[in-house]
Amino acid sequence: MVDTVADFGNGPTWTWLVAAYFYFTGLSAGSFVLSTLAYVFGMEKFKEIGKVSLALAFTLLVLAPLFLIAELEQPLRFWYLLFAFNPTSAMSWGTLLLIVYPLNCLIYGYFMWTADLKLTKVFGAIGIPLAISVHGYTGFILGLVEARALWHTALMPTLFLVSAIVSGIALLIFVLATMNLFLPEGKRYAERLIFDMGKMLVWLIVLDLFLIFTDLLTMAVGSETVYAHFVLLTQGSFSLVFLGVELGLGALVPLILLMTRKTVASYTLASVLVMIGIYAMRYVVVVGGLALPLA
Amino acid sequence: MKKEGKTRDQKKAGLGIGRREFLKKAALGASAVGIASITAPGKIVAAVSENAENNGGKQRRNLAMLIDLRKCVGCSSCATACKSENGVPLGVFRSWVKIVEKGTYPNVSSHFLPRLCQHCEDAPCLRNCPTNATYKNDDGLILINEDRCMTCGMCVSSCPYRARFINPETEVADKCTFCAHKVMRGELPACVDACPYGARIFGDLNDSNSEIRKIMDTEPVQVLSPERGTKPKVFYIALNRSTAETMGGKYEELG
Repeated sequence: MVDTVADFGNGPTWTWLVAAYFYFTGLSAGSFVLSTLAYVFGMEKFKEIGKVSLALAFTLLVLAPLFLIAELEQPLRFWYLLFAFNPTSAMSWGTLLLIVYPLNCLIYGYFMWTADLKLTKVFGAIGIPLAISVHGYTGFILGLVEARALWHTALMPTLFLVSAIVSGIALLIFVLATMNLFLPEGKRYAERLIFDMGKMLVWLIVLDLFLIFTDLLTMAVGSETVYAHFVLLTQGSFSLVFLGVELGLGALVPLILLMTRKTVASYTLASVLVMIGIYAMRYVVVVGGLALPLA
Repeated sequence: MKKEGKTRDQKKAGLGIGRREFLKKAALGASAVGIASITAPGKIVAAVSENAENNGGKQRRNLAMLIDLRKCVGCSSCATACKSENGVPLGVFRSWVKIVEKGTYPNVSSHFLPRLCQHCEDAPCLRNCPTNATYKNDDGLILINEDRCMTCGMCVSSCPYRARFINPETEVADKCTFCAHKVMRGELPACVDACPYGARIFGDLNDSNSEIRKIMDTEPVQVLSPERGTKPKVFYIALNRSTAETMGGKYEELG
């Protein structure tokens, strides 16, 4: 029976803002990959969504760092990141990616809009590892912190990337369905696109759930600190967000909707729930990962 | 969206090919300049500070601390002295004492664990700092260059010992410096001076005649969380594992 009577020490500083940054870069990377389905991988049936998904990818990426700047104690010092480089710091690499990736998006977009298919394909292909890295590095930011048991798993970058694609598909379905409400009859996106994306979404949600299941099961048999996080997520103060929002509302309900009700309204609702669920995932990982005190 | 006007052949003959070539080269050039401008200043600054740290061929010191817990009574004079010496604001701590109670009444005992930055040989904060604001000096101390810190908090999240914080007054990352300002003058850190029972020893691990080296070589010593691979340089004698490993709070109260 050991009780801590007094333990001052220092607490963590990161909040939901960091989770929001991860969420937006994930949406951006997912959207980017969707734009390359036609323009790089030649899947002609997705050509129609190339431009809107690239526009989303660029816009979301430009907005993302605003969350980080808001999180800084000294927001005006954010540019210090641009004039230093630490090769062992994932954040340093991320800064590089946050510049090169959107620049590439602009170039890729330029050629896409001017219908130069060959150069579109070239810069789209260059953009794929950039998109994967601009979000994947955030998985490394967390995964390489040994101090935080919930973060320190080899699964983290993969989990982040799969969640990113899931959120990207969901966002696109939502955007297409919403745009169709305002576009005139002849200019609307084909409903077939929404249903095709919905099918992809089902498989990717299943993959995402498998990764989460693997992580959970491994945590359940882990060391005391790791197990404590398992308890936190499944029974403790984060269980409502994790089980209720991330898994329940964000994955299981959308799966049921996508597999049983093939209507635009049902798919759109499923997508909104998925988007909420993926943000909940980022929140649980970032804030939940910092919620338990270190020894 | 096909443009009206010149055909592709006509464009190739005129300005079209020039524009495409120009854009290709501009894109490549911009990327190269962008990458170079971001990495080069950092490298130049690093090279300059390397030269500044060169101490002319003498063997470098590797400063470390040893805390004999058999002598610690939990008075927290060390933590108080640190607060005073370094002007640490309320609510954040460069140094503190963890107090743990074992047993149930009437069979109880108290255990004390003075805590501070471990100045790890393989420090995660150093590894993860994106601006190189956190650096290791010639004497093996991990220090923070307040002019480079952009307060991202990566170091605070990375530290397994909770040693780091964002200072609400200076508004940059902060932590115990082993009183580098005193050590540079040949003095001892404030906490070492303050301890009434001489529980704290401070010195150079590379100096075979130092008290800390002699104790390390003859007594069993322990460190906090050795399995984390940080290679901490605060050594304890009689470190009680349950004191060290108990999280702040009981397991069952999670949530």
